[in-house]
Amino acid sequence: MRAMGPGSVSSLLKVALDVVHVVLWIAIGGLLLITIASLIVPLPGEWTADLGEGAGVELTPLKIAPIFAGAAGYTAILLFVVRQLRRVFATLTAGDPFHPDNFSRLRLIGAGLAALEIANMLSPVALAWLLGASTQEGRGIDLTAWFSVLVVFVLAEVFREGARLRREAELTI
Amino acid sequence: MPIRVQLDRVLLDRRMSLTELADRVGVTLANLSILKTGKARAMRFSTLDALCRELNCQPGDILVFEPGPPDADEGEAE
Repeated sequence: MRAMGPGSVSSLLKVALDVVHVVLWIAIGGLLLITIASLIVPLPGEWTADLGEGAGVELTPLKIAPIFAGAAGYTAILLFVVRQLRRVFATLTAGDPFHPDNFSRLRLIGAGLAALEIANMLSPVALAWLLGASTQEGRGIDLTAWFSVLVVFVLAEVFREGARLRREAELTI
Repeated sequence: MPIRVQLDRVLLDRRMSLTELADRVGVTLANLSILKTGKARAMRFSTLDALCRELNCQPGDILVFEPGPPDADEGEAE
């Protein structure tokens, strides 16, 4: 099976990304609805979160809403990454990998992945602070994730060079 | 770019149109137009050979060096 062009692996991956794109939009919509609803509609009964410190922490609308808003924000960054990735795969499906815009798209993907990783690192601390837990330990630095971010930025530079060479070839008569 | 293409002058001297030259040389009209307007970044020897043959001229009749600052995007190539 070919790697690029119509009916290739790229086109199959693009279809998968299209599905993920729709699912993420629905997820963001759902999370925002829950955020708004948690502020408007009173919680039925008493809700508590067990933080493993004996007594559970009571969940109030002002504690729940930021959690879901944060989740919506995280999903929005994920959606942003998928959107850029879809555009890159659209050029691959068209058989034009060194499209001039792919360089900036890959850099945006790298920035998005870095933002997601920072969110992953800080979310336990933010959650503990929000719920008033005494232990506020964040997740350590995931070297594999940061290496992946670095690889995406390096790939962006490779694509920039590819785009430049393509332009040179186009203007060689 | 300090290298200037004088294809229009040579064509005028030979009373030949760009379309006719494109047919004779086997280069598309669009590409010859890029060459004529000085937008081309490079020229193959095979193209230069075909142009000189059809226009009955020397490479120096088509290409002229004029001292001046290089284009802004030329630095990217290095």
